[in-house]
Amino acid sequence: MKPLMTLPIMVRRLLLVTFPLAALLLSVFIGRYPLSIYQVLEILSLPFFGRGEELPAMHQTVIWQIRLPRALLGAMVGASLSASGATFQGIFKNPLVSSNILGVSSGAGFGATLAIILFGQGTMIYIFAFLFGTLAVVFSYLVARHYRTTPTIMLVLGGVVVSSIFSSLISLAKYVADPYTDLPAIVFWLMGSLATARWEDITTAGLPMLLGVAGLMALRWRINVLSMGDKEAQSLGINTTLTKGFLIGSASLATTGAVCVSGIIGWVGLIIPHIARILVGNDHKALIPASMLLGAGYLVLVDIIARTLTGAEIPLGILTALIGGPFFIYLLKKTKGGGW
Amino acid sequence: MILNVHQATFSYHKTPVFQHLNLTMDTQGIFCLFGPNGCGKSTLLECLLGYLTLDAGDIHWGQKSLKKMKPQEVARHTAYTPQNHVKSFPYTVLQVVLMGRAAYQGLFQSPSQEDEAMAWEALKAVNMTHYAHTPYTQLSGGESQLVMIARALVQDTPVIIMDEPTAHLDFRHELIVLETIVKLVKEQGRSIIMSTHFPNHAFYFENAGVPIQVALMEKGDFTAQGSPREVLNETNMRDTFGVRAHMVHYGEDTDNTYTQLIPLSLLPRPSTDGGDQGERMIT
Repeated sequence: MKPLMTLPIMVRRLLLVTFPLAALLLSVFIGRYPLSIYQVLEILSLPFFGRGEELPAMHQTVIWQIRLPRALLGAMVGASLSASGATFQGIFKNPLVSSNILGVSSGAGFGATLAIILFGQGTMIYIFAFLFGTLAVVFSYLVARHYRTTPTIMLVLGGVVVSSIFSSLISLAKYVADPYTDLPAIVFWLMGSLATARWEDITTAGLPMLLGVAGLMALRWRINVLSMGDKEAQSLGINTTLTKGFLIGSASLATTGAVCVSGIIGWVGLIIPHIARILVGNDHKALIPASMLLGAGYLVLVDIIARTLTGAEIPLGILTALIGGPFFIYLLKKTKGGGW
Repeated sequence: MILNVHQATFSYHKTPVFQHLNLTMDTQGIFCLFGPNGCGKSTLLECLLGYLTLDAGDIHWGQKSLKKMKPQEVARHTAYTPQNHVKSFPYTVLQVVLMGRAAYQGLFQSPSQEDEAMAWEALKAVNMTHYAHTPYTQLSGGESQLVMIARALVQDTPVIIMDEPTAHLDFRHELIVLETIVKLVKEQGRSIIMSTHFPNHAFYFENAGVPIQVALMEKGDFTAQGSPREVLNETNMRDTFGVRAHMVHYGEDTDNTYTQLIPLSLLPRPSTDGGDQGERMIT
């Protein structure tokens, strides 16, 4: 990390912007379907020079209907999870929380499971996922707040408890679900994968992600003020209840959208904000966009590995944990509290 | 009129903290809340900020009732420096001071160049400009307090509430903070409402020629209000704290008179339950 920190801020910003773009580009060129760099370039230039008839339709489909939407959706998931993680860390003054740890992901998972059992497939899945995701954070927060001391450790504990309750509820729901119709739908939904990503997903799951992230971007400077604690934030002129509510709602919305696409993915929302802090500092005005850019690029890269490393696809969550866990340990050792 | 508190009553979980408190601050200057630990000073200050809500009674800032003010409006009238600021992320000093401009930002805005210029001004006022880009988590207690004061300054309010601004500060920083407060009142025309544990702080302000009013608070009630000499006298120190003290005046025949209260010794005081009148040693 040292060499990164010594770079001038302009160079660091440039790197931040180039990273997700490079990852997106890379993901269009790499895949198990054999296409040469030249072929990909030819297909990519189609909309500009239009010689489509000569190129095989199959090749065009691979690029335009499979690789590109998948990469874009992956980038959106990464950006959403990272921005939400950074937001939760900021407003709860706690560098150890993320959507996963606060129970949003499992809450959303349970909401979706319940909706599948009650209503079958449909938009109710998204609504329920969002409602229960939000409910989960609020629960975690209330558990921590019950004790009047600083809720640093209590918040993590509260999240662990809430997460595990919702995980149990998911198991219970699976147990009672109709094994022929509902159960496969639930399992498929919970595992989640970018493998089925299509352009339609960008409008359905993309919408909550876009709205959520837009909300976080809009109020991002206020996260600084909220991280001073309720009393001081209010004395500085912030309506803490409303602002926190709006931010938690936005972060939950973004997370829910991400969970709807890719299932429960851990570690992204926890680690990416830490790397972003090393790059741009703690001011959330810079931190939120930096986290989004890093997260987007990171998830696209991980997805490239997930779909090319072996013949069968490796679930994303497994890879993010395998990479994220050890990296987090490295970060902890490196920063030793000085980083935050 | 700057502040009027009328019949203020507040309880924490049904335990009354104070009842029917009355307080008026008429002129610009310092209002010093003085009293033993747990007498309700901080709670009263938090009520004045609107962070806690009174069970009964009214607080008026100027002519306006606090009940009718939104946090943003309160923050443009009254700034606050906390007794214990819990640091979370290593923001730079400048970033922390800029947060004082929150009350002037639109919902989706962040501080402008102008706000930043004000933050530099505030840092200059507390002599902290050279720390502007230092992570504020690396500052000492005294330096942190100055940053909190700078943050309150950029809030650009007529009133600043300070909860024990000199708590845990070393000899020099204590005086730096006191001098800064004097400067704020004299040069910038601000009013300060502060709590303290040290009688001599009140005398320091009086000696410096700042208009000052003291209220002695005990078990949620004001037992005395007035000038430092009237309130922090030997009798009140004995009755409230069980401390034998002596008020001294130095340089009375010159232009600068310095009044100080010297604590001499503890007095045996009757135990609170009233039954046992035996002399209890306070250790």
